[in-house]
Amino acid sequence: MTKRIFRAIFGLTMVMMLAVIGLVFGMMNAYFSSEQRDDLRSQAVFIGAEIQDGGLAYLEKIQKPSQRITWIDESGTVLFDSKANPQKMDNHKEREEVAAAFETGEGFSVRYSKTLSEKTVYYALKLDDGTVLRISDLTISPIALFFTMTQPLAIILLLAILFSVFLAFQTAKKITKPINDIDLEQPELAVVYDELAPLLRRIAVQKKQIHLQVRELQCQKQEFDTITSNMQEGLLVLDAHGDVLSYNIGALHLMGIEAPREKANVFQLNRSEGFRCSVEAALAGAHREEKIQIGGKVCQIFANPVLQEDTLAGAILLLFDVTEREEGERLRREFTANVSHELKTPLTSISGFAEIMKNGMVHGDDVPRFAGKIYDEAQRLIQMVQDIIGLSKLDEKQNTMEKESVDLESLIQDTVRRLEPIADKKGVAIAVNVEPAMITGVKQVLQEMIYNLCDNAIRYNYENGKVTISLENKENEILVTVSDTGMGIDPKHQARVFERFYRANESRSKETEGTGLGLSIVKHGAMLHDAKINLTSELKKGTKITLVFPN
Amino acid sequence: MVRSRFDSQLEQLDIEMIKMGALCEEAITASMKAFIENDDAAAKVAFDKESEIDRKERDIEALCMRLLLQQQPVARDLRLISSALKMISDMERIGDQAADIAEITAFVKDNETKSKLHFRDMAAAAVKMVTESVDSFVNKDLKLAKSVMDYDDVLDNLFTEVKQELIDLIGEDRANGEFCIDLIMIAKYLERIGDHATNIAEWVEYSITGSHVKMGLEEGNK
Repeated sequence: MTKRIFRAIFGLTMVMMLAVIGLVFGMMNAYFSSEQRDDLRSQAVFIGAEIQDGGLAYLEKIQKPSQRITWIDESGTVLFDSKANPQKMDNHKEREEVAAAFETGEGFSVRYSKTLSEKTVYYALKLDDGTVLRISDLTISPIALFFTMTQPLAIILLLAILFSVFLAFQTAKKITKPINDIDLEQPELAVVYDELAPLLRRIAVQKKQIHLQVRELQCQKQEFDTITSNMQEGLLVLDAHGDVLSYNIGALHLMGIEAPREKANVFQLNRSEGFRCSVEAALAGAHREEKIQIGGKVCQIFANPVLQEDTLAGAILLLFDVTEREEGERLRREFTANVSHELKTPLTSISGFAEIMKNGMVHGDDVPRFAGKIYDEAQRLIQMVQDIIGLSKLDEKQNTMEKESVDLESLIQDTVRRLEPIADKKGVAIAVNVEPAMITGVKQVLQEMIYNLCDNAIRYNYENGKVTISLENKENEILVTVSDTGMGIDPKHQARVFERFYRANESRSKETEGTGLGLSIVKHGAMLHDAKINLTSELKKGTKITLVFPN
Repeated sequence: MVRSRFDSQLEQLDIEMIKMGALCEEAITASMKAFIENDDAAAKVAFDKESEIDRKERDIEALCMRLLLQQQPVARDLRLISSALKMISDMERIGDQAADIAEITAFVKDNETKSKLHFRDMAAAAVKMVTESVDSFVNKDLKLAKSVMDYDDVLDNLFTEVKQELIDLIGEDRANGEFCIDLIMIAKYLERIGDHATNIAEWVEYSITGSHVKMGLEEGNK
């Protein structure tokens, strides 16, 4: 800007200066030329008059005249010249001013020297006797005059440049200052030049647009962040080189890492084989699913390429924590294997006994004994299938079972009555220590839970052992405790006895004829009633299981 | 433009190194699985990984040479590339030794004796060292690199312990001789793997700080 202003000012100054110089020179030149001409003419008239009187003698009397005086006769021969020898001068008749004088009485001419530095003005006057008197004056030419002025002119030029620079700076500053002072936050309020008003209005409009767009983007980003940060699944967005563009907290949690630094490569986060394969596949443009182990977790990865108009722009990785699912699957597999095994054992016995009988290898007397065994095994099968059905009911219909008010005290009394024959057979004494308590729950399930607990307490007891069932109605909770003086559970099994088919006694011996589902039913029942189960047990001393129902 | 190409090549080198490190981890993990659990499939995996590691070494070497010749790097970049060149040879040795262990596992399937000795600990220590040395490279983690160097003593002590146990075993019954010699080889391989992991950690330190204690390289007199 300063440069442009400078150029404009300087240009203007130059043009003005040249114009002024031209004008002044022209005027001066014209004025001085006419002055000089008049001067020459009056001198010529004066000298001509003297010559008429004094002749050549007068001319020779004039000592060192300021002008050159030449006297020429009618034939053009030079009679006298104040600066040169007339004999050596050639005929002057054809000279412009002389010829004009012969014709019209007087003549003027101007001649420049070869270097143009000097100018000679000639004036010729025809005298009365027919001769011509010529007077010439030598002056420096206007061009030479101009050149003599170059030094002061240069100084003026320099001054003009300096002044222009100064002015340019000042002007630029003055023009831009109010523009710079415009508050771009509120451009419409700025009071500057009227010429800028449309621009400021446009800026104001654009500012509003930008503001809106930024807000929209921020909202979108916030939405996206909120969604991704709240999802359990991990999300990683990669560019085509495999650098991480975006990630969510879920991904960091799943991969067990700290927030990566800016533009970290994805392999710095995890470099396990499955992860590498899926990333490489996605960056090669293919979809891929892998399961990888991270720490103790099993993580499923879905890797998808991101294509933009057929060129690969990056990849998106979705990570799911499938540890529970894997664990569930493992448990289900185990359960199926256990069920098959448990069902097979009694069936093998039944089949065996039946085969012996079919082959007629059993005496008539022994048939009832064998039939009895088959009956027992069949009963056991029925019991087991019932348990399994009960368990799956608990599994499937937890929410659909109708709860009612149940009198726990009478329920326990009933259960104990049902179990007394078994206890008597085993020689186990049952002590009941109850107080009134009402609970909201599913009667059938509660009964089964208590039955199973007591049944276990009797089953895994020693002869002449003791089972104590107590019911305490406290302020916040109802405690049902079943303790026995039986064989107890090894601490290493304690955590697992509530699993289906899990038996502390690994040999699954027939002596204790359980299905391995009893405690599992208790656990599911407890879950249905929001109850907690506390188990304390000491090997060969006894077990104490407490159900804590919220009151 | 030139610089950004160089940068992207350096990044490429970094990624390739991570991949090679991961391969080493997988190789040693697989061979330890083959050894401890008598898993023949895992032994096969270890062999496969070894040839993959060899391929990777050649690739990275070529990349480093290209970088050195075409870009003529200086200072930190040069350190990074030269230490990468050293690291890949250590990684390659780790891969070889993992494969060697996998090869021997076919002859030592006596689990009871193995579990009595300290092999499980040695295997765990070796895997830990390899993993952490690669981690220290990936994250440019000086502290982790130092801890890998220190951990080498643990592995060395375990080796001495296992050696003594094997001597006792031969003393008990000379028939154990062949079995014990196979085991001592595995123990030695594990100990060597620890040394290579330590080397990697040292080169990591060099690439970060410019000083390498064992090579007598100090910042400023390289």
